[in-house]
Amino acid sequence: MITRRSLVAGTAALGLAGTLPARAQSSSIVVGTWGGDYGALLQQNIDVPLMKPQGIEVSQDIANQDPRRTKLIAERTSRRSSMDVACINDIDSYMLSQLGVLETVPVAEVPRLSQVVDVFRKPHSIPHIYSALVVLYNPSKVTTPPTRYADIFDPKYKGRVGLSDILWNFNMAGANIGAGGTPTDFTKGKAALMDLKALQPKVYPSNETLAAALKSEEVWISLMWLARGFMWKQAGIPVEMAIPEEGALPILFEAGVPKNSRAKDGAFKYLNAMLDPQAQVAFARKMGYVPTVKDAKLPEDLAKQISLTEAQQAKLRPLDYATMQAQQGAFSDFWNKEFKA
Amino acid sequence: MFALILPAFLVVAALLVGPMVLLARISLNQYSPTQLMIEATTAQNYLNAVSDPYYRGVMGTTLLMAFACTALTLALGFPAAYRLARMESRWKSLVTVMTLIPLLVGNVVRAAGWLGLLGNDGFINASLRGLGLISQPLQLIYTPGAVAVGTIAVVLPYMILTLSSVIESIPRAVEEAAANLGASALTVFRRVVWPLALPGTVAGCVLVFILCMNTYATAVLLGGSQFKMMAPAVYDQFSRGMNWPFGAALAFILLAATLLLTVLGTALLGRRYAR
Repeated sequence: MITRRSLVAGTAALGLAGTLPARAQSSSIVVGTWGGDYGALLQQNIDVPLMKPQGIEVSQDIANQDPRRTKLIAERTSRRSSMDVACINDIDSYMLSQLGVLETVPVAEVPRLSQVVDVFRKPHSIPHIYSALVVLYNPSKVTTPPTRYADIFDPKYKGRVGLSDILWNFNMAGANIGAGGTPTDFTKGKAALMDLKALQPKVYPSNETLAAALKSEEVWISLMWLARGFMWKQAGIPVEMAIPEEGALPILFEAGVPKNSRAKDGAFKYLNAMLDPQAQVAFARKMGYVPTVKDAKLPEDLAKQISLTEAQQAKLRPLDYATMQAQQGAFSDFWNKEFKA
Repeated sequence: MFALILPAFLVVAALLVGPMVLLARISLNQYSPTQLMIEATTAQNYLNAVSDPYYRGVMGTTLLMAFACTALTLALGFPAAYRLARMESRWKSLVTVMTLIPLLVGNVVRAAGWLGLLGNDGFINASLRGLGLISQPLQLIYTPGAVAVGTIAVVLPYMILTLSSVIESIPRAVEEAAANLGASALTVFRRVVWPLALPGTVAGCVLVFILCMNTYATAVLLGGSQFKMMAPAVYDQFSRGMNWPFGAALAFILLAATLLLTVLGTALLGRRYAR
């Protein structure tokens, strides 16, 4: 039976528990990341070999990109963030830094920043790995290899174009480049997507379901990361990758530390470890993403498959992050209400 | 007496009412792509949602799906609940537990099972192809039918258990008396069992209808990216479009529609029962 005395004692104990630190400062950190290969590679190449010897225990908070970004924003006024390191893509990294969610990365605490390729350096995040949006195709069905993003608009692929719903904004950006649009004006891209809609493209809920559709040859052509194409090809899915002549859209996967992290020391050590050359090469071998640090050397045959040539790198067509943020709602509405509906 | 309900009241107030009030406040704010939202008191988000044909369509799909799934669940659940209620065997408790088994598996895991069954390379298509009955896979997944099947599988145990407890409370002697007086099995059901079970039927339907209106995982995983119900649309606004005020307004519209239909349905059926 609950007496008044025991209730008061219990309440007091609860109050006391609230004042205790949930975990010791810097001795353990939570990394918000994708699951699957990405999470496993972090564990194998960073958490265990690089963080454990420093006395830092790492636990992962696994989720997709959209919920993680939403969680970070929802928690921005909280006393503490539920994660100390957040793995994010470049669009979200810009948005989160604009909204004041991310801490500035101190160069002194992340010395490996000196090795980062200059073009990738940003104040509120570190670049982890990168790739580019390419045209993925089944060589036995698409006999003339595509050369441009616009090839997915070809009427001969009616009903055979497959797109991943989770890459909605990157699909829009790729289609926009293909249609001759500019990073700040998606009018041409939207018009081209509406024309594509008449050719009954299939939109799959995830990258994995798109992979299954490519494998079963339900769809023949798609827009996808070069790295994913590499992985899927390794897994026996009949795909080849074509880097668009007009210039490919780059994607950077980054990591940052929320301002309200209670273990910033450990978190910055983690960012530093993410820039370790060996760890980055491991990501390249398994997932096909290219390192962002100058001293990570890839074996020649691997580099050929997953890297862009110098000429292709010179032609990269980066996003205009300010446009992507300002148009996030409008683009999402277009994708859901007009293109997919 | 008040002290007894105080802990539950505090928990509900803190964990449900508090966030709901916050959400209501957000729904009156103004969307800003650069600042997330600007503090305001405007009904514009509600007006936008109601006047947009896309969201009217999403609401229509949600209502249609919820009504159809509730009706089908009732049709499937009533005979099973009757059989369970009238069971006298020692296996009765085992059958009751077995009815509950689907609830032990989360919606996402269950939907993954349906993917394995209904997918293009799933069990059904693979079997039909193996038997030489089809050359191209049947489109079973990513269809409204798949969502209906998946949703019914989730809500059926709720209906069966609610109905069986009510049917159990109807004395068997009442049915036997009707039969003795010459009523056919159908008449016994129509004139005796159905009216007496109506309060439980209403409760079961309300419970199932609310669950169907708020279907999320099943709609996303089995309906695919082109099929849209309200709960995924709310999530999309928060998580993808970053338009929290509009997402909050959609959430309240869904809540209001569910509440209104639930109250109306209960009142109408309750009145019928009272007669």
